[in-house]
Amino acid sequence: MDPSGVFATRYERDQALVRTDRQRVALALFAVFLVCVPWLLGPRLVATASVMLITAVVVVGLQINTGHAGQVNLGQAAFMGVGAYTTGVMATHAGLPFWITIPAGGAAAAVFGFVFGLSAVRIKGFYLALTTIAAQLLFHFLVLNLPSRWLGGSNGLTLEPATFLGHRIADEASIYWLCLAFAAVMVFGAYGITRSRHGRAFVAVRDDDVASGMMGIDVVRTKATAFLIGAFYAGIGGGLWAYYVRFVAVDQFTLLNSIWFIAMIIVGGMGSVTGALIGVFAIKVVQETITSLGPSVVATFPFLSGDIVFATMNVFLGGIIAAFLLFEPRGLMHRWNILKRSYRLWPFPY
Amino acid sequence: MDTSRRTLFGTLAAAGLVAIAAHAPAHAQTTYNVASLADFTGPYADVMKDLVGARWAVVNWWNEEVGKGLGVRINMKDYDHRYDAAQVSSLWPGIKSELKPIAIMGVGGPDVAALQQRLPDDKIPMFMSTASYGFAWLPNPWIFNPRPTYAHESAAFFEWYRKEKNVSGPLKVAIISSEASPAYVDIHKGANKFAADNKDKVEIVETVYTEVQPSDLTTQVNRVVRKGAQVILIQTNTAAVVATKRALQAIGRKDVPVVMSSHNGLPASGKAIGGIAQLEGDYEVYGMAISTDQQTDSRKFYEMLRAKHKLNVGWTVMTVMGLNQALVTVRTVEAAVKDVGAAKVDGPAMRAALLKSPIPSNATFGILPDVSYTNEAPFPLKGLTVNVGTVKGGQYVIAAQGVPVPVVNKW
Repeated sequence: MDPSGVFATRYERDQALVRTDRQRVALALFAVFLVCVPWLLGPRLVATASVMLITAVVVVGLQINTGHAGQVNLGQAAFMGVGAYTTGVMATHAGLPFWITIPAGGAAAAVFGFVFGLSAVRIKGFYLALTTIAAQLLFHFLVLNLPSRWLGGSNGLTLEPATFLGHRIADEASIYWLCLAFAAVMVFGAYGITRSRHGRAFVAVRDDDVASGMMGIDVVRTKATAFLIGAFYAGIGGGLWAYYVRFVAVDQFTLLNSIWFIAMIIVGGMGSVTGALIGVFAIKVVQETITSLGPSVVATFPFLSGDIVFATMNVFLGGIIAAFLLFEPRGLMHRWNILKRSYRLWPFPY
Repeated sequence: MDTSRRTLFGTLAAAGLVAIAAHAPAHAQTTYNVASLADFTGPYADVMKDLVGARWAVVNWWNEEVGKGLGVRINMKDYDHRYDAAQVSSLWPGIKSELKPIAIMGVGGPDVAALQQRLPDDKIPMFMSTASYGFAWLPNPWIFNPRPTYAHESAAFFEWYRKEKNVSGPLKVAIISSEASPAYVDIHKGANKFAADNKDKVEIVETVYTEVQPSDLTTQVNRVVRKGAQVILIQTNTAAVVATKRALQAIGRKDVPVVMSSHNGLPASGKAIGGIAQLEGDYEVYGMAISTDQQTDSRKFYEMLRAKHKLNVGWTVMTVMGLNQALVTVRTVEAAVKDVGAAKVDGPAMRAALLKSPIPSNATFGILPDVSYTNEAPFPLKGLTVNVGTVKGGQYVIAAQGVPVPVVNKW
């Protein structure tokens, strides 16, 4: 809902992401803040922000695939792993620069995802979830069993830092800016996709694939495209991860990671790119807070046994996700929209 | 101010300065920070209490008994890494800038994955407590394990067992493993490599791949026993040990012992199966002290820590692991102080001291054998020994100590 007095007179304006001058200013200030993060925050928070950006790219992809297109996907971590391995192999074996290896990682993951997307043509719901779990297992099996000179096998892959114009991207600030640049492009692209005819086709297929087929949407292609795009995002995230950690191993991309990604879109709000970003931020903040608070609580109150404190923290984290599923399945984004609407309608109730 | 008063103040000021100067060396103490990484909220949170408690006790003991004399104090701070490489990656820059540690104590794979490429740049060594892996067997390490690889430890057991049981010809070994984790794959690859290089000593009859938490292995165990397996090696987890023992009981074979490592050893597997007596005649092997009730030097050290330095955890494998890495850390601080002086210890000095100064077994109260690092590997390559534990008459006892580790080639 737009503020009072703001209305579109053209289709382009109706589709615009930024609709008011205030929004433009707020977005510009936010962008400046994001660029300045390494100067404003300590190294720990900068590193956390880098992980958030990488995760955001992966989760935005999952949002397109699951939130928009309705294709349940429990293999997003595997797609991320394919991107990380492809980036790693191209960087170490071929010595290619990051601006080639990371998109190539995305492309490889997209192909891998597309294969599983084809299975979505015939099945859906619970059965599709199982098929995507198979992607997770297949990825694991392939990495460990292919000749180790290809993907490193159980040894993993070690990468040198990315370089840009002779500058080694190894310190926290440089890595952060690398992640920020890719995340900005990918998020901007996600908004574009969701507003495009493909985005509308995704939503139509999600809401009723039979009806959307009757209306002339190519359901097969739409489902496969959703997987392809979702996996591409995961692959880009994987490529960034490879340069961030500089070591790629198969156990960094587990089913548990995929479940966390799903949890992030649930908490943020299904079907919203902004919701995905909010979900990543919220979950990571809670995780980081728990990680930081646990040892401090035990140190401050030694009479509280460590195992009780840490168990409580874990239950709290799980409880937050369960609470969202029970009480606000549409996520934080829905809450934010209610708040915004109330503010704009005030003092009228509706 | 008259001359006499000025003289009086001058004399008092001079006396004060002399007194400060005279007392300064006795009180001057340089504090160095050490980061203690542990899994407080992740999958291994239930066993971290022992590991971290042991680290703290050693640091407290060292500060009081040794550090005071050297003019050095170690300040340790715990960090929760949730056993997650992403968490370690995001934690580390903060630790580095806020704590400025001279060393890190790590737990396992995620620490290694996240930091192995960063520590050479940051020039801070990390001390682990576990056995090492083939994939970490690289030169110029900044991450150090006190124990060799799991394959080294199992190879030592094979040779010891052959002699102990007078096995003529190669010892027939079955391996129960899993492809769930690269670490498990590395472990069985190492054992297979040793067997391939020593065909006269060891023959791997089969490597059985199971789920990570197998519930029934009767078919697989029956098959390997029919192939003539004399020993079953399991270095994955307790679930695999329990399933294998149940299978051996089901097919009525008591003559094929199971060999475990530290993390899935006799106490842990015994607890899982419902009593350590069920593991009668089975073995565990690793390159550090075995936490039996026998009065060894390491046990006496543990008792001393309990009595005097607030150690309030049990005598367990995890406690021994915490003790081993903390002792290596503090002994390395001592060596670094000796090399560069109490005021100039930093990460590179710690690493240089570790490579230069062997740590004899008595310096770790028998928790570790003599350990001597080189630039060639993250673990000691020469003079290695392991200890073997077993269950005899229902009691958890040491079967052998100081068993030499044979040469194992890289895989």
